[in-house]
Amino acid sequence: MTPLEARLARLLWGGTWLASAVIAAGLFGAGPRAVTLGVALFILLPVARLLLLLWTFLRERDYRFGALAAFVLAVIAFGVVLGARG
Amino acid sequence: MSSTWLFGVAFGASALGGMLGMASGIFIVPILVSFGRVDIRIAIGASIVSVIACSCGGAPPYLRARLTNVRLAVVLETATTVGALTGVFLAGLIPVPALFALFAAILLLSAWQMAQRRREVATVESGSAGALDGVYPDDGRDVAYRVQRVPLGMALMYGAGLVSALLGIGSGVLKIPAMDTALRLPIKVSSATSNFMIGVTAAASAGAYFVRGEIIPGVAGPVALGSVLGALVGARILMAMSSERLRLFFVAILVVLAGQMVLGAFGIDLVRGAA
Repeated sequence: MTPLEARLARLLWGGTWLASAVIAAGLFGAGPRAVTLGVALFILLPVARLLLLLWTFLRERDYRFGALAAFVLAVIAFGVVLGARG
Repeated sequence: MSSTWLFGVAFGASALGGMLGMASGIFIVPILVSFGRVDIRIAIGASIVSVIACSCGGAPPYLRARLTNVRLAVVLETATTVGALTGVFLAGLIPVPALFALFAAILLLSAWQMAQRRREVATVESGSAGALDGVYPDDGRDVAYRVQRVPLGMALMYGAGLVSALLGIGSGVLKIPAMDTALRLPIKVSSATSNFMIGVTAAASAGAYFVRGEIIPGVAGPVALGSVLGALVGARILMAMSSERLRLFFVAILVVLAGQMVLGAFGIDLVRGAA
C-alpha cells in the first residue's frame, strides 16, 4: 500500500466506526440528537476523504489532481447551499 | 417502523448481499416502501446514507489490496457529483410513479447483470499512456493496465450520479459495467474503484437532502448501521449454499421487488391488499 492508500484506509475505517458508534449510542439511549450526529458524520466522511486527497495532491505539487479534488468538493458544497436555499 | 425492524431488514439485506459480493443498497428503498410503509422519499434519504456507510466501510479492504485507482476515482467523481446535483434538482420534479418505474428498471438491470458473467476486456498494450494508468496485484504478480476512453466514461458516470441521487442507490450497477466496458479496467479494479466512488457520489446528494430535512435520522440511522454491520458480517460468512444457487435466489428476489415497484408505479399495493 502506498502511504496515501494507508491513510485513506485508516480514515474511512475510523470514520465508519465512529459514525456507527454514535448512531448506536443514540439508538441505545443517548437520544435522537446522537443519531442525527452519527448520520451527519457518515455524510461528512466522503468529504473528509476528499480533503485528505486534496491535501496530499497539493503537498505532492500535483496541482492538476488538486484542482479536480477541489472541484468535487465545490460541487458537494454547492449542493448543500442549493439545498439550504430550498 | 421501529428502529429494530429497520436495523434488522437493512442488516439482513446487506449480509445476503455481502455473501454474494453485491451491494445491497438497491434493496433498501423497495423493501422499506413495499414492506415498511415508508414514504419513498424518506426511504431514498435513508438509503443514500446507508450507501455512504457501506462505501466507506467497504473501501479499506480494497485499498489494502491495492485495487483502487484513487486518481481515476477523483476524475470520474467530477462527473458523478455533477450528475448527482442534477438528480437532486430533478428529484423534486419527477412524479413518484416515475421513480417506481425507474427503480423497477434498475432492479431488472441488476438481476440481468447478476445472471451474466463479467468479461475481462482490460488491455495492457493498446491506447496511449496516461496519468490514470495503474498497476494492480493479480495472483501475486503486479499487472499493468491502461484506462481507456475517459470522456465516454465521464458521460456514463454523469448518468450514474444522476440515478444515484434520484433513487438513493450507489449506482454500482451502472458504474461497474461502465468501468469494465467503456474504460476497459480490469474487473477487480473496476469493483474497487466503483465502491470507492460511491461514497462521494452519494454525499453530493445526501448533503443537499440533509439540509433540506429530507433525511429522517430515525430511519436513516438504523438503516445505515444495519447495512454497515450486515456488509461486514456477510463478507465473512461462507454459506453452505453454492454460489450459483445464491445468485439465482438473488435474481429471483430482484425480479419480485421489481414487480412490486412496477405495481407501485400504477398505484397498486399488493402487500396491503385491496383497500
